[in-house]
Formats: sequence, structure tokens, C-alpha cells
Amino acid sequence: MSSKSLTLNNISKRFGNVTALDNFNLEVGVGELVALLGPSGCGKTTALRVVAGLEHQDNGTVLVAEKNISDVPAHKRNMGMVFQAYSLFPNLTVEENVAFGLQMRKVNKSVRLKKAHQLLDLVGLDSQSKRFTHQLSGGQQQRVALARALAFEPEILLLDEPLSALDAQVRVNLREEIRRLQLSLGTTTLFVTHDQEEAMAISDRVGVMNQGVLEQIDTPDVLYNKPTSSFVAGFVGIMNRIPAQISDGIVEIFGSKVIALKRGNESGQVVALIRPESISVVANSSQPNAKVLTRSFMGASSNIICQTGDGTIVQSLMTSASTGDLHPGSSVQLHVLSSEVLVANV
Amino acid sequence: MKRKLDLPLTITLSVLALFVFIPLLSAFEFSIRTPIKGGYGWDHYLWAIREDEFFYYIIRSIWLAAITVLITLIVLVPTMTWLQLSKSTIRPFIDGLSLLPLVIPVVAFAVGAQISFPEFVKDTVLELPFLYFVLALPYAYRTLDIGLNSIPLKTLTEAARSAGANWWRTIITVIIPVIKTAVVGTVAITFALSIGEYTLTVLLHWDTFPTWITFVADESILGAVALSMMSLVIPFLVLTVLTLVAPERSTQGRK
Repeated sequence: MSSKSLTLNNISKRFGNVTALDNFNLEVGVGELVALLGPSGCGKTTALRVVAGLEHQDNGTVLVAEKNISDVPAHKRNMGMVFQAYSLFPNLTVEENVAFGLQMRKVNKSVRLKKAHQLLDLVGLDSQSKRFTHQLSGGQQQRVALARALAFEPEILLLDEPLSALDAQVRVNLREEIRRLQLSLGTTTLFVTHDQEEAMAISDRVGVMNQGVLEQIDTPDVLYNKPTSSFVAGFVGIMNRIPAQISDGIVEIFGSKVIALKRGNESGQVVALIRPESISVVANSSQPNAKVLTRSFMGASSNIICQTGDGTIVQSLMTSASTGDLHPGSSVQLHVLSSEVLVANV
Repeated sequence: MKRKLDLPLTITLSVLALFVFIPLLSAFEFSIRTPIKGGYGWDHYLWAIREDEFFYYIIRSIWLAAITVLITLIVLVPTMTWLQLSKSTIRPFIDGLSLLPLVIPVVAFAVGAQISFPEFVKDTVLELPFLYFVLALPYAYRTLDIGLNSIPLKTLTEAARSAGANWWRTIITVIIPVIKTAVVGTVAITFALSIGEYTLTVLLHWDTFPTWITFVADESILGAVALSMMSLVIPFLVLTVLTLVAPERSTQGRK
């Protein structure tokens, strides 16, 4: 297996007055898939491009298997990359595209075509090998791009939002395919995306970036359930921000007392950060504290949006079976289901 | 479905065709006249081809034009690729600079070449391709520019580099084949301009096919016109050969 570990140490990169990466650190283990997630302009793509050698950092080092490759040019880094935009060479057939990296490595033609067919078979496109790229759909083109990036057995696979130009269904299928391939080949992979669902679905760990720094990197489960900052809590998944009173680490929300996970102010006004699935909405209550604004049926679950007496909008995710009595305009009582909540200062 | 005739377009194209083809046809008609025998014939063409200097000058002009084409491609494709990718602030300056050959008199180039070129260049006819390159620059630059603008250059070069291609291999194996139409156009324009260049060549005291035609004109004006017709055919033949030789790869429908 040619896969290696990747380490970024104190990487800084500025474009004029804009700081894209600010002492950025990251470690990706052998065979691991790490996603970098963040809003536009957070520096995630710059980090990937620094790893690929397509941008040169102002400071810091890039290590692959402990070897410093900071000054190695892009074409000698042996990293497969799939781009956001369709990047296949239009003058080459599908098989020639996949074999391109091997051709650059002066691999014998019959060997490289054999390898290209193996990879095309893996992505289910061997039958299209003689076609030109414009004859393929967007999803097929990205599959070929993935095969091209993997054909020369890269040490690291870099995915720069490869799914963002595709239709919803194709995205879901292709992301599963990427994960399947990555696991079967054991290729260390860095995956940049702004789509949290995508990142959470296929990554071993997800790094959330904000303004050039890594806010938190953890497994999807920890990231979702135990965000360490207000930014991560707000960025990953949907988070209700409910004004509440805190006293001695205990927060009072909708009449219930819950433990504050991360303390902001020791006492006084804070904002409690609560996931929609941790809030239940009860109809026909004797002590209503909110009104239903909308109810969106989504199959097994329904999304209920309510407004409390002080005007706060609260979102709840419940099983559809338990939301039959919740109609827009009806008075309801909100409950917090979790015993701990993350709080932030107002 | 039958397409409706676009009358203004048809009239414009017809007038343009007449403007281009009437002088050409007239020259051709003139070149095949045989005043002594009367009627028409290929006498002047055959006479010109049998002249000792014919092949010497035509081959000389062809390889000078070929060297000019090479210089143009070697200098312009990497430079313009870099200009496109770097989004450099000097881009407007370079755009303007590429137009200068249109406004600077040819005699100024000739004098400039005599002053600035080193002796070993001035002593050989190889000084001409460097100057032909400058003369063809405004047209070659724009043709390549259109080609490079029409492709996702940044993504393609980055894809090639990350797959292991260095800059030269990226240009040769990806960029040039992808902008083949623009490259063929550039080759045709540069070749045609070089093979027909007269003023600069005379000012620098070199002899090529066009200057030889003027010598022939002193002896036989009909022979000179016949040679001129042949010199028109050469770039056309080169373009045809290029189009046939260059592998026809479909790049239509890029997304």
C-alpha cells in the first residue's frame, strides 16, 4: 500500500490583506479520510491546495510520512486530486484520461491501459472507456476524475468539493462510492467540502474551519453531540439558540433545569444551544409556552417550528407519528429532552 | 425545417466574396494568358517552375516560415498560459505591447534589427524569423488568446500537474491539443505572413520567394503573377495538411 500519513505544521498563507490560513495544524493518519468543513472563505480549499503544492505557504511545513515536502513541486508530490470543476482533458478518451498520470510516470502503454481499465471497472465505467469526456454526464465525469486520481496509486488523495456540481441523488451515490473505494484501497484522503451532511456521512474525522483556523476536529458523532465552540455548534447541524438564565452551572430553559456543558457567564443571561431533536413539542398542555408556526412533514420525521412568548424561534425534530396534533397556530408546551446543554455568552 | 434566408447577411457575404475573389480571379486569368500563342495555357507556371531559383527560394521561404512558426509557438504558448494563469497586472501592458508591430513602421524594425542584433544573427538569414515573429505577433497573440480563454485553463493545468506533468509536458500534452483550433489558426496566420513578407526582407538585403518574384517581374510580368498565385496556394496547402495531420479529437460540448 502506497498510502502515507499527512501532517501540516503551523501553515500560514495570506492573499494580500486576507489571511487564508493562520498557523493551521492538521494530522491525517494512514488510510484515514478527513474532511475539512467550513463556510466559504474559511481557508479549507487553500489548505488542500497547499498540500497539493498548487499554492505555496508563507510559513509552516507539509509532511508526508514524516518527510518534509514543503518545497517539492506539485507534479512530484504523487498526490491524486479531484477538482470541483470538471477537469478531464477533453482531447483524450476516458481511458487515456485515467492513464494520464501513469503516462507522465513513463509507465509502459499496455500496463497503464490495463490499470486504467481496472480503475474504470472499480468506478463502473469500463464500458465507457473509448468515449470522449463530453459524452459523459457530470457524475460520470467525476467518477473518471476519481479513477484518474487513483490510477497512479497516490500517497494522498485530495478531494476539492468533487460533488458540489452534481445533482442531489448523484451526490449521495458518488459520495458512498468514494468512501467504498477509499476504504478498499486504504488511501489517505483529505476531503474539502462545505456540505456538512457529505462530510459527516463518509469521513473518519471532520475538521471544522473558521477564518483560517481549525476550530475542532473530531469524529462526526463527537462533533455533532459535543461541539467545543459556539461556531462549531452553529455550523454543524441545526442548533437552536435559546436565551436562558444560568446560575451555578445550571440553566433554566422552558421551566426545566439542565446542566451547562460549557460555561459562559457563571450567572445571568446566556444562550443555550440545543439540537432540534432535543426539544419536544407537546400539544394540549395546561401550561403552553409557545405557538406552532409551521409543521413540515419529511416522512418518518417532521420538523416543527415554534415561537416562544418572547419571540424566540425554536425548531424541533420529532417522529411524524407524535406530531399529529401540532397544527400551525396551536398553543404548545416546549420541553428540553437532554440533561446537558452547551451554553454561550449572549 | 427549411431555414429562412437572411437577406442582409447574404448580401454582405456576397459583396465580401466579390471583393476578395474578383481580384484573385482576375490575377489568375491574367496569369494563364498566352499572348503570343493566343488563348490560355499553363506556360508561365511551367516557365517559372523550370527556373533554377524557383525551388531554392520557395524552400528557403518555407523553412524560414516554419522557423517563425516554431518561435511563435515556443515563445507565445507558455508566455500566454502564464499570463492567463497568473492574472498578472502587467496583462493590459502586454496586450498593448503585442499591438505595437501594427503601428511601428517596418523600416524602424529593420533599422532596429541592424543596430541591436548580434553579428552572428545578422550574418545569417535566420535573423528574418525573429522579425517575422514580431510582425505576426498581433495576430498570433489574439488567436491564441481566444483559444486559451475558451478553456478552463486553470483547472486543466492543475489537473495535469497534480497527475505528475511538469510545466512543459502540461503545455505539450494538454494545453496545445486542447486549443488545437487556435494553434492551427496561429500557425496558418504566422506561416502565411512570413512566407509573403517582402518589405522587411528587402530592407535587410535578403532574398526570399517574394523578393525573387519582383526580380522575375522585370523579365516576365506574367511569370511573376503566376508565381504570386503559387505563393498564395502554399499557405492554403499548409493549412490543409495541418488540419488533416493534426489528430481530429472531439472537444465539442465541453461543460
